[in-house]
Parts: sequence; structure tokens; C-alpha cells
Amino acid sequence: MSDANLATPFRDRAGAALKDTFLQEALTIATTKFIALRREAFGEFPEGEALRDRAKAIKEATLGRLDHYLEQLIEAVEARGGHVHYATTPEAARAIIVDIARQAGARTVVKTKSMATEEIELNEALLAAGVTPVETDLGEYIIQLAGERPSHIIAPAIHKTKGQVAELFARELRHEVAADPEVLTRIARAELREKFLQADMGVTGANFAVAETGTVVLVTNEGNGRMVTSLPRVHVAVMGVEKVVPSMTDLVVFLAILARSATGQKLSSYTTLVQGPRARGEVEGPEAFHLVLLDNGRVAQIAGPLRESLACLRCGACLNVCPVYRQIGGHAYGYTYPGPIGILLTAMQHGPESVRDLAHASSLCGACLDACPVRIDIPRMLVELRREVDERRLAPWPERAIFGLLGRLLGRPALYRLAAPLARAFQLPFTRGRTIRRLPFLLGRWTRTRDLPAVAPRTFTERWPELAREDREP
Amino acid sequence: VTSRPEFLARIRAAVARAPARPAGLRAARPAAPAAAAEIIRRELSERWPETLERFRREFERVGGILYRVASSREVPGIVGGIARERDARRLVTWHPGALGVDVAADLAAEGLAVEVMPPADLEDAAGQAALRRVVASADLGLTAVDLAVAETGSLVLLSGYGRPRSTSLLPPCHVAVFDRTALVESLAQLGVFLEAWHADGAPPWRGGAINVITGPSRTADIELTLTRGVHGPREVHAIFVESPLRG
Repeated sequence: MSDANLATPFRDRAGAALKDTFLQEALTIATTKFIALRREAFGEFPEGEALRDRAKAIKEATLGRLDHYLEQLIEAVEARGGHVHYATTPEAARAIIVDIARQAGARTVVKTKSMATEEIELNEALLAAGVTPVETDLGEYIIQLAGERPSHIIAPAIHKTKGQVAELFARELRHEVAADPEVLTRIARAELREKFLQADMGVTGANFAVAETGTVVLVTNEGNGRMVTSLPRVHVAVMGVEKVVPSMTDLVVFLAILARSATGQKLSSYTTLVQGPRARGEVEGPEAFHLVLLDNGRVAQIAGPLRESLACLRCGACLNVCPVYRQIGGHAYGYTYPGPIGILLTAMQHGPESVRDLAHASSLCGACLDACPVRIDIPRMLVELRREVDERRLAPWPERAIFGLLGRLLGRPALYRLAAPLARAFQLPFTRGRTIRRLPFLLGRWTRTRDLPAVAPRTFTERWPELAREDREP
Repeated sequence: VTSRPEFLARIRAAVARAPARPAGLRAARPAAPAAAAEIIRRELSERWPETLERFRREFERVGGILYRVASSREVPGIVGGIARERDARRLVTWHPGALGVDVAADLAAEGLAVEVMPPADLEDAAGQAALRRVVASADLGLTAVDLAVAETGSLVLLSGYGRPRSTSLLPPCHVAVFDRTALVESLAQLGVFLEAWHADGAPPWRGGAINVITGPSRTADIELTLTRGVHGPREVHAIFVESPLRG
């Protein structure tokens, strides 16, 4: 990963985020609002629970015959005159898209927000090839102007305040304006309208692709998905192989839960279904359509431990409810995909060594599982990742040594009974009330950002005879 | 470069390696989608007033404005009123064959500069570029509606002959005209029509895009403050005509 951010350890990135008061305020406002919107949307939608089960079943059934559905998709796209490309790695995907741009003689490329193109770092590759990529989602546009990366799957500029955006526009666009979202949006509209009309090529992701009909489905609120697929001469859609759904009947099941989970809307403003290039008799729409199918670690997980995470719709609901994400925001994770699902996707794309620390960036509270529209058991997979990190001896040795000792202690009752009084004596100088605020030496790292509950005056085993007696004599 | 056979072979191998899992319950697909869509239409034609009311509620919730008129003769007056309130003069409209009603002359009489979209392909690139400039500078875009989904307050528009994608996208104000035959209850019913449009019920004029439009263009990317009209229209109006348009 080229992110310079990764040079600092996760602990320090998280620490810096916690001290950033702007970020803290922005995160609290945004995630609290997202949570309320989602809760309200499902509260008035009792059918939602059954639809979530159904959506999960569709994803599972599709994965079970993914080769078949992809073949169907490819044939349907080609039957409509589209071209399909196959990318095993991000490098391959970049090369394919740069090549399409070159052959089309494209100078400017307009883009919709797409995590897949973030994942393959397409913008850098286009720039290197002399093609100017223009992000057109307002949040992505802001991020691009600032030279940053998105910090949330659906709200990329969630970490910026309107004041910061106004300063950015003043600097980059020479528009001195008030810090008013309405005014800022109007400026972006005018700037980007010209780009839409002039661009030679449009690049999008895909929220879904319908196998039977060869349809790529884009969900946007701003309408940029429609612009990008209607105005330029060439449309390139980049999608992870897991985004395929069998039929239109299956598609509407996902539509009913996606926007509700993401923004609390029943549907986003625009659900755009595009099938290949413009059809005969149409005065607009692209003359050429390309679909790039992306593997990048996904195929290996069809039979791997992270299989369930291939059902992810990229709605962002698990980020909003995660107590860790809500504290540190997206950038501290250091990779393209933040939040609980992001840890799994990072492991999928960069291997378990990349999540040595991130696998622990979760309290395993289960809020992500509850919020996930397709009920991905994220906590289960995080625990498995932790096990893998341990088995591969990826963690630093003091950590492994301490947890090794603790494991042996907890597994032997006799030893534990001996150790409890020792621990009580040892903790005495560090304990205030029932918590340990600060431990000495190396152990101090643990207590620098958290309290540790003190060992109780009496263990449960010591209290048990007494408790049992009380129970018998009410 | 990975070839299609190589790419698919790796996926096939992975699928074969994965342990079999129990399949959950999936949605049932209509066996004959065009017939199923027709049945939905016939059933709803009896109780369209309730469906329309539900549509109104949801459409207004997402920021749409609904008008109800007795016949298509009243459409130009409504559109003229919308235009006058906004000082709008330039209107682009789908071809009358796609719109279901020919209102160009009456709209011109309302004082609007009307540009009618061509019925089929403009082969020359210059013509297409000129057309785009006209649409990009228009104040109002007038279209028909292929389906109005009550559950979500959505307007579904198929692209095709005489029905460009940009009419409902580039002008800051979108006005759509529909009648009872467009009304459906739910997303599940929309699914049946989507099946039909891609099978035996595909209209001969259908293009490459289907748009499900739910309210105006919006964003909340700056501090989650809702702002309208970021790239698409700021306003969406729908005119319901009681007497069937193609009656």
C-alpha cells in the first residue's frame, strides 16, 4: 500500500485521531446522525428483517455458483456490444483502464465515487499516463482537491467541517465563500458541470451487476452516476467479482435494504441501470462500454475463512455503529476500507500480516453484525483473524509472551488459585478503587489509553460456597 | 493479461473447493414476467386512487411536488405555471410519441421556448453535440413516466427512441407526466416489470438505461447537511392525469 500513513504504527495513528478535536466533533455528529436515520428507516419497515435474510441467501447462493453467474454476466454484456476485461491484481486493473483511456484518446476522465477504483489506486495511474481524473461525487471532489483519501465508505469527506471545505475551495478554486454547505455545493455544481460536458471517458464502480441481463447498477444521490454513464463517449465500470446478482428479482431485494442501511432513505435519489453502450435509436449514452472484473484477493476467499465478507454491500452501516470507528475515524485504519468490515477486506487484499494490529481494533461488541444488512458475522471473523495473527507469530514478542502466560494460567485451576492472591498483592500500589489506572514498565502501554479492572478481593470460586448457601436459604 | 478462461477457471476451482452450504429462501421469480406485469396492472387499475395517494405521500416525503389534473389538456397550463414561478423559459421535452401527449404547441403558447427531442438517432455527431448544448442550457425538462412506485415515491424512466437520458438530468427542474397505467405498489412489483422489460415484455424502442428517480438530486457530503440539486435537478414535479394518456 502506497499510503505514507502506514509508516506510523496503528497505535500512533489512532492516538493522533483521538487528539484531533475537529475530527472528534465531525465524527460524533455524522455517525450519530447516520445511526438515527438507519434506525428510523428500519423501524417503519417491518418487512426489512425478512428481506435481510433473503438478501443474505441470495449472496450465499450466488457465491455457491459464482463461476456460472459471472459467465452469464459476461455473455450478456458482450451480447449488448460491451467489452469485458479480467483483472487479477490492482496493477492489471490499472493497466487495463489506462489502456482503454489511451485507445479512446481520452484526456479527461469523470468518475463516480467507487471504492473499487480507490482500492486499485486508479487516479494515480491515470495521472501518470497523462489523463486527468476528476472525482464528481461532492465528498470525493473535496477529498481530491485536498489531496486526501476517503475516510468513510459512503461519506468520504465526513472528517471535514464546512469551514475547512470553504478554506479549501478558496485556496484551490479561488472562490472566497462563506462556510455554507448550500453555497459550497453550488460552486462544485458549476465547476463539475463543465467537466461532465467535456469529459471523454466516464469511470464508475458498480453497486450490483445483474447476471442474466448484463446490467450494471449504480446507486447515487447526486446524479453524477447518471452524468458519467450518459455524457462521455466511453464508460468503464470496475467491479469486484462478488457484486454479481442473478436476476432483476434479486436486485430489488437489495435495493430495498441498501439505502435504508446507508442513509436511512427508502431508495437513494438515483438508481441507474445501464446495459452496455447506447442502444440503436438513442441520441446519447456511451459509444463504448467496458466492464472490468476485479479479483484482488476475493477469489481466494470463496473457499477461505473470510468468505462471508464477500457479501458486503459497502453501505457503511458497520462503520457508523462501531465504537472504535466512531473514536478514530477512517484514516487511522490506514487502508482503503475502514471500519469493522474494512479490517476484513484489508486482510483479504493485503494478507493477515497487514491486520496484525487492526484485528484488535474492535471491542467485539457485535454492533456491526446487528447493523449489517446482510448479517455478516464480522466479530466471528475478527476473532479468527486474531487467532491467525497469533498462530503465524505476527504479534510482537512481549505481547505473545504475556498472552501465552495468561493462557496457561487461565487453563489450570490450581495455578489460577495460587496466582490470584499474588496478583492482589502486586496490584496494590497501582489500584484506585476497583480499577488499575497505570501499570509499570512495559505493561504501562496497556494502561496508557485504558483502565484495567482490578483483581477482585475474592475470586468467584472463593465466593461460591457462600453464594450457594444463600441460594438455599432465601 | 488474464484471459477469460483462466479467470473463470480459478473461480470455478475456488467454488468447487468451498464446502457446500445450505441455501436460504430466495425470492420467487415470475415464470412469465410480461404476463405477470399485465396482471399487476389490471389489478391496480381497479384501486388506483389508493395507490396514487400512497405515491403522493412518499413522493412528497422525498421532496417531489404532485399535481392532479382531469385530462392531458390541463398539462400545458400546469407546466406554464411552474415555468412562470421560476422565471424559466427554455424547455426540452421528450418526443410526443414517448410522452404520450403532444403539448409542444400549447407550451409555446404559454410563452416557453420548446425544443422537442428527436424520435430516433441523430447519426451526425454535430447534431448530437448541438442537441446536448440545448439540453444543458434548458430550464425545464419534460418527460413521461414508465412506472411510478408508491412504496418509495419513485419515478421509473426508460431511455430509448425520443426519450433521451439527459432530459430528466441536465435541466434544474424536471417535470414528469403520468397516468394510472404507470402506478405500481412496491419495489417487488417493480422487480416484475424489470424482468419483463428484459424478456418478452421489452418495448421495441427501449434504450440502454433505466433510471429509478426518487426525489431531486441531493447530497449530504458537507457535515451531513442536506442540499438539493448538486448535479441533477433541484426540483422534481409530477403531473398525474386522471384520464388515460393514450386512451
